[in-house]
Parts: sequence; structure tokens; C-alpha cells
Amino acid sequence: MKQWLRNLGALALISVLALAGCQKAPEKAAATADAPKTGELKVGFVYTSPVGEAGYSWAHDQGRKAIEKLPGVKTSFVEAVKEGADAERVIENMARSGTDLIFTTSFGFMDSTLKVAKDYPNVKFMHCSGFKTADNMDNYFGRIYQARYLTGMVAGYMTKSNIIGYVAAFPIPEVIRGINAFTLGVRSVNPKAQVRVVWTKTWFDPALEKDAAISLLDVNADVIAQHQDSAGPQEAAQQRGKYSIGYNSDMSAYAPKAHLTAAVWNWAPLYEAIVKEVRAGTWKGGRAIWWGMDKGVVDIAPFGPMVPKDVQDKVLAQKAEFVKGVDKVFVGPIKDQSGQMKIPAGVKAEDKELLGMTWFVEGVVGSVQ
Amino acid sequence: MILKIRKREESLGWGVLVVYLGALALALAVCAILLALAGKPALEGLVILFRGAFGQSYSLLDALVKAIPIFLCALGVALSFRMQIWNIGAEGQFALGAVGATFVALSFPGLPALALMPLMFLAAMLAGGAWGLIPAVLRLRLGVSEIISSLMLNYIGILVLEYLVFGAWKDPASFGFPMTAEFVPAGQIAHMGPTLGLSLGKLHWGLLACPLAGVAYSVFLSRTRLGFELAACGEGERVARYAQLPYGFLVLLVMGLGGGLAGLAGCIESSATLGRLQPTVMAGYGYTAIVVAWLARLKPWPIAFTSFLLAALRVGVEVLQLELQIPAAFGQIMEGAILLCVIAGQFFLSYSVTLKRSRPVAAAASKGERA
Amino acid sequence: MSPELIIALLAAAVQGAAPILFATLGEMLSEKAGVLNLGVEGVMALSAFAAFIVCHLTGSAVLGLFAGGFAGALLCGLHALVCQVFLGNQVVSGLALTIFGVGLSDFLGTPYVGVGTEGFRQFAVPLLSHLPMLGPVLFRQDAMVYLVYCAPVAVWFLLNRTSLGLGLRATGEMPAAAAAAGLNPQRLRAFGVMAGGFLCGLGGAYLSLAHTHLWSTGLSGGRGWVAVALVIFAFWRPGRAVIGALLFGGVMAFQLRLQAEGTNVPSSLLLMLPYALTVIVLVFSAARAKYLKTGHSAAPAALGVNIEPEG
Repeated sequence: MKQWLRNLGALALISVLALAGCQKAPEKAAATADAPKTGELKVGFVYTSPVGEAGYSWAHDQGRKAIEKLPGVKTSFVEAVKEGADAERVIENMARSGTDLIFTTSFGFMDSTLKVAKDYPNVKFMHCSGFKTADNMDNYFGRIYQARYLTGMVAGYMTKSNIIGYVAAFPIPEVIRGINAFTLGVRSVNPKAQVRVVWTKTWFDPALEKDAAISLLDVNADVIAQHQDSAGPQEAAQQRGKYSIGYNSDMSAYAPKAHLTAAVWNWAPLYEAIVKEVRAGTWKGGRAIWWGMDKGVVDIAPFGPMVPKDVQDKVLAQKAEFVKGVDKVFVGPIKDQSGQMKIPAGVKAEDKELLGMTWFVEGVVGSVQ
Repeated sequence: MILKIRKREESLGWGVLVVYLGALALALAVCAILLALAGKPALEGLVILFRGAFGQSYSLLDALVKAIPIFLCALGVALSFRMQIWNIGAEGQFALGAVGATFVALSFPGLPALALMPLMFLAAMLAGGAWGLIPAVLRLRLGVSEIISSLMLNYIGILVLEYLVFGAWKDPASFGFPMTAEFVPAGQIAHMGPTLGLSLGKLHWGLLACPLAGVAYSVFLSRTRLGFELAACGEGERVARYAQLPYGFLVLLVMGLGGGLAGLAGCIESSATLGRLQPTVMAGYGYTAIVVAWLARLKPWPIAFTSFLLAALRVGVEVLQLELQIPAAFGQIMEGAILLCVIAGQFFLSYSVTLKRSRPVAAAASKGERA
Repeated sequence: MSPELIIALLAAAVQGAAPILFATLGEMLSEKAGVLNLGVEGVMALSAFAAFIVCHLTGSAVLGLFAGGFAGALLCGLHALVCQVFLGNQVVSGLALTIFGVGLSDFLGTPYVGVGTEGFRQFAVPLLSHLPMLGPVLFRQDAMVYLVYCAPVAVWFLLNRTSLGLGLRATGEMPAAAAAAGLNPQRLRAFGVMAGGFLCGLGGAYLSLAHTHLWSTGLSGGRGWVAVALVIFAFWRPGRAVIGALLFGGVMAFQLRLQAEGTNVPSSLLLMLPYALTVIVLVFSAARAKYLKTGHSAAPAALGVNIEPEG
């Protein structure tokens, strides 16, 4: 009987504890939604990986540093935030502490951002690489696939074995889209080449990603592309005397003899524009902002010395098209792996289709899961 | 001068508290030193940590929400630790529980909440329990170490979850991103606040599972025959078999129940916190549960308290991360350091150490004496 | 698969096996002395960082290697302290060590993520590297792989041909008898744990110095746990540890090459292989032990049992 009493007591204790929590509702930031924001603007960034010296979060952090230079802007960031329930608390802590504008930079933060956005209507949220929005939440991303297409062209010109390896992170549309654009770039200059994919299910595991690249080199690939943060695949290519293509930022420092070019992010223009909008009171929620090479958000790294001049010229000519705003990467006819027509001739795939891409184009060898 | 070590005859009484506080202080000191080494303000860091964990009503509520899965997993782990079965597999059992619950939620969306919820709980406990039974069977039939097999099943369980979420269960409306469709409202555990008309943050009705499980746990151990037999098995397999206790059955029982509890935690976490299944449901609660179980010396009340403390620690570390840019791994260091110090400190609970002025005996290497 | 691909696969298997073998032998030393150390994962993580940071600061891979080893010995010293002096539970102390080591490695290492080091590079051994098959597989590796070739022999020699090894084994089997014979079981156990920690540390150092040349957190990636499992698979014999480690390196290398060849099997299933194999291997060796009735004699009799003080 005593046991029962004690147990009941605990239940009461828990309830009291819970009730204590309800005495004081969380204080919320006191800025009004649409009025121009004067005074100091506090901008927060949430990264999924450590900033480090290169990689996806590092690229976002370069953008943060760019807006930090703007007058009256104060930034903060949290790195290595695990996606899921933890992320929600981190974002909420940021919102609570009076941050006006919060960038959450990984797909996995989408639902967490949305939930916090609903609880903090006066804070503005920008979520990167997802598809959900709210009245006070935009999603944004860059058309990195344009840069992927250009790097694919370089790979298509440079390969001799006509096998190109691609070390890929997770089978999600963002990565699949990149592989497809890359392959379309390869095949636009070299229809005989194929792209082989190895999934690592990691964003940053140099050991595994390097091993994956070596496995591709072993099946005769002579150019290695990648979609992770680590330079492991670059290392592998250099070690074997083969070529590599980087991602996120210029990775030539890791593999000067192998690095042909890289698909790189340049977030500064977008972040500066958003901050200006918030200042001017023109910022709106509910948008999908997807900028491309025309706005300078994506680019390719400088070519390595081994890339011949005529190849550079051809790739730069295509880049000039992107910069003008002409985007023909996903214009049909495009077939999938099995040869089935997915995008008919002359039709341009809509953004919605690109956002949910779960099939490989013809020329990719590998499983799409 | 030598130290004389004796086994204590009686319990230490209030000394227990002193030992625990001492161990905690030592662990905190180690952590402060590490902060200082990393060039961060050590004292300020600890203050921020505690303020972040206990300073606000919402942080306490956050910790309470986080304590739910930790408590359930820790209870399951403690059950098997009681008979020296080292179940390290709560993490994988948690994953399978989430998978089981999701299977029900996706398969029978038309059921009313009164039928769907219990079915989800049942499926989660069955799936988690089955995952826990694998190492138990392997141990009983073949003598395979349950430590390793349950640990490897963690990795496999998480990959099973990923396989389903990246494959068959992927929501067509999620643009190919790895997540299932949102559960129907009947399959989602609701927040407590709106129903009670109170502002309770993210606290949800899954909390009720904790007192229920806790009471069941203590009643089972203190009121049932099986519970007594379980306690008797604490001395190890040989003793248990000698006393003709149903050792094999008990191993199956604790692993099955432990897995079931971890599975329940997985169900609650996916249904209440996420509302769907996605790989991010895995947050390492299964490992924290082991720390909790041992710190609490496998007793239900202390487990509840310690779950809350370690959950608060995790919440506090997030604030630390935000304010001082300290990596989240700091929380792990603290967990590890506290556990190491407490294990070492527990020595003083069962042994007394006295200083004796005497000449070393001839057998200086005798194991009872330590210079 | 073409012959070239098979050779490449085997060479990759040797590389993948090297860190696991170091750690397996380390754990074996510790267990032979009677101390179960479940902290290998944490020890590998921390020593990988220690090796990296010393190599990064001094530019010397050899210093980095020793730093890794000593960091491993030091962390295992903590385990010895908790279990030998304070008579803590070996299972829980080991788990705490893993949590602590992995956390510390992440904490200290976060600012350095993505920083490269020179480390050890591959070089071909003259003459031997031209042997057919064996040459490319065994003798076009890096210095640490050549080091790992010596490790099982050294551990075997230590355990079976020296008086120190005899003492270690006696302590693991029957500490009371060892003490009666005039040995100091406490000191022997501490030695076994720390020497084992040094080897595990070398395994960690391999990851940052030879495998990736690049620092990142989470480098150990479950290898430490595989090592603990392999000790059981190896029946506490260094020779069999080599087979076990190669099997693992092989499976990992194989699943990646299967993907590179263009398989349709989903990657989650392939990534499960090494872990599933660990369980299968354990089941297999346990079944074999049961069949041959050798299981109980293989494990040191006093494994996991602390030496209680008298009185």
C-alpha cells in the first residue's frame, strides 16, 4: 500500500511541476510583423554540421559574415545541430532570445522551423532546401544544379574511360537532381559516358566517402564528383592520379593535381537581399525563393590548370547563358534510366517537379535508393 | 601508512548523498576545466548551462518532454541490468517501436483514436520487444554475448527504419524527402495544454505512460513472485541456476519487456513529437537511458528523477550551444564524466576506507591493501 | 568481377581491416588480463583526434602516431582506475568511457573539422610489391599497414612466450592464484588495460593519419564495437583476429564496390551488411564453440570480475 501512495505522490509531483510551467507563458519577441525594422537587426543561423574550413555550413557561414558587415546587423549561429526534436528547441531558443530573422539551413530543420514559426508569428523564418512555408516563413534554395551541369560538362570532356564516379550522400531530391543535372551536362558533350553512383548515407564522413570514391576508381572511373562536405573523395582521386570535381566550395587546396572545378555556393547576395527586405518592410512569408546563377548564388570554382582552354571556353559559354537567365538544363527530351520518356521534347520541367525528383536520367548507373 | 579497505556492514545513510554530490562536483569540475581549455569562460558556461536547464518554466517543460522517452528506455534497461543482462540495445528497440507504431498508423488510418492508439502502442511494444528478444534468444541458446548483439541490432534497427522511410513508406506528398505521411489526427498523441486549458508548451499526454510504467515496474519487482526471482538472479547466472530459478524465462522476460518499453518510447516520440516517422526520430535516448539506469542504481524513483536531470542537461546544453558556441557534444562529455565519477564514487557506498598507521606486512602485494 | 577489381577489393579490405585489427588486439590484451573494456569506441575516437592534432601542430606523423597511442593508454588508464581501484562495474565503466571519449573527441575536434594533415602516405615496398597478387594487395600500402602486419605476431609473442604474458593470462584466469604465486594482479591488469589502450589508440590514429588525412568528428564510426565483437569471434587468439578483421574490411569494401558496379539493391540494406555480419559471425563462433564444447575455455575465466579486497 505504501508503494501505491508513493507512486501517487509522484504523479502529483509531476503534475505540480507541469502546472508550475504554465504560470508564465513564454515571452515572445515584441517586434511587429510588417513594419520596417529599425534599430539593430538580430539574425540567427542554424547549421547542421560544424562550420569547419569548407563545406555546406561553411558556405552558409560566409553568407552570414557578409551580412554581419552591414550596418546595424548582428548575427549569431549554432553549429552541429542535430535534426529532429533537438533542432526545434534550438530554433525556439533563438526565437525566444529576441532574434528577428532566423535562417535554418538544412532540409531536416523544415518541420521544426514550421512549428516554431507558428508559435512565434513576429519572428521571420527562412528555411533552406525544403518545400513548406508559412505566413512568417519562406523557403529558399539555389539552383546549384546549373553549376552541376557545368561541372558535368567539364567531366564529360575530361574523361577517357567514359566512366564518371559520383559519391552521393542521401537519396533525396536535392542530391538526385544534382546527379541528373551533372549527368545531363556530361552527356551533352559526351553521349557515350556514364555516371556511376555510390551512396554513403553520410554528409560528412571522410573515411567512408573516400572509400566510396576508391571503389568507383576501382571500376575504372577517371573523374570523381561528390555531394558531401568532406574532401575525402578529392583525396582519393589525387592519390590515384585521376580527376575530381568538388562541391560547396573550391576544394582545390585538398587535391591541387586532381581538382578540375567545383559547384560552389555563394549565399551573400541572397542573404543581403533578405536583410534589406526586412529592413524595408517588404519581406513576405509564404514564398519559395529559388535563385540561380543569374543572381550569383551558385557558381563554379576556377578551373584547374589541367583543363584545356577550349574546354574552359565551351563551359564558360554555357555559363554565360545561365547568367543571362536562360536555363535549359531540364528541358526535354529527357528519358529515365529505363529509357522511358519523362520530360517530352521541348517541355521544361516545372520547379515542383524538380523539387520532388526521385528518378535518375538515362546515363546514370546505380540504385535510386 | 596504508589504507585499509573493508566491506561496509551497514548502509551509509546520508553519506550516500554526500558521495553522489561529491562525484557530481568532481564531474562538473572536469567539465569546467575542459571549457577553460577550449578557451570558453568556464564558470559562466556552467551558469548558463544551469540557467538554460532550470531557469525558465519552458525549459523545465522541455526537459520533462525529453525525459519521457529517456525514462521509458531507462526503465527497460534497468530491468535487464538487475539480473546482469547487459541490454545496450534500447536505441534499436526504440527504432523498431517507432516502426511498429508507424506501420499501424499508416495501415489503419480510418480507425477511431480509441482503437488506433492502443493498436499503435501494442505494435510498438511488440516490435521493440521482439527486437529485444533476439539477443536474449541468442544468449540463451548459443551463449552469444548480449552486449554485442544488442548493440549491433541498434545499427541494424536504425537502418531498417531508414530503409522503410527512404523506400516503401516515403510520403508521395513529401517531394521524395525521407519521411512518411503525417499520421492521421487519431494517431497523434495530443498536447496536454489545450485539453487542460493551460499553457504547457510541448508537454503531451504520452507523459501518462511514465507513471503507469513506473508503477508497474515497482509493483512487479516488489509484489510479484517473478519480481523476487528476478532480484535473486542479480547474483549472476550460476547462482540463479543453482537456486533453480527460471533463469532462461526471466532473461526472455526482461529483454522482451525492456524492448517493449523502449518500443513504447519510440511510438510516443514519433507520434507526439514528430507526428510522423522520419530518421531524425533517433536522438540517442537509448544510450542516455543506460547512463540514467546506472546512476539511479536501477530503482524506479531515482530513474524518474535522473531522467529528468539528464533531459534538463540536454536542454541546458542547447542554450550553451546558442550563447557560447559550444558544441553539443559537451552534453555527452558531461554524461560520461558524471557516470565515471559516480561509478568510482559508488565504491565508498559498499566499502569503508580507513587510514592505518602500521608497517606493511610481508605480502605487500596482497590485493587487500593499496599503498 | 575482373581480376583487377578483385585485387583492388582485397587491397581495400586490408586497409579497412588495419584500424579494426589494432583495436581488436588491444581489446584482446585487456580481456586476457581479465578486464572487459567496452570503451574501445571512445578510445579510438579520442586517439584519432590526439593523433591528428599532434600531427597538425608538429607536422610529424610519427609523433602523431605516438600521441594517438598514449591518448588511448591514458583514457584506458581511467578505466583501470575506476575498475581496479574503485571496483566499478566494468561493463558500465566501459560504456561511460565510450560516451566520454566520443564526446570529448567531438568537443575538442569541432573547430578543426575539415583541416587536412600530411599523415602517412602509401609507398610500395621494393621487390615485394611486384609479387603477383600479393604485391598490390599487401605491399602498396602505407607505413601503418606495415606496422599492423607485425602487431598480431607481437601480441601473440607477448602473451605466449614471455613471463609477462604468462602473468597477464594468469590474472585473467585466476587472480587469486596469480597473487599466491607472487604476482601483482592489480598491476598486471592495469598494464593489460593500458597496453591494450595503446593499441586501440594506434587504431584510432590510423583513421586520422593514414585513412583520411583529414579531420572530422565521428571518425571511429562503430569500428570500436566491431573490435569488441571480433575478440569473441577470435576466441581470444591473435591469429583469428586477423581473419575477423579482414572479413570486416572485406565486407565494407565489397558493398561499396557492389554499388559502384551499378547494383539495384537499396543502399540501406548494403550498409547493414557489416553489422549483420557481426551478429552472424558471433552466432557462428558461438555455435561452433558449443558444438566443439570449447566455448568456456576460450574466454578468460575471470573476465569482467573485479578483484575484491580482503577483509
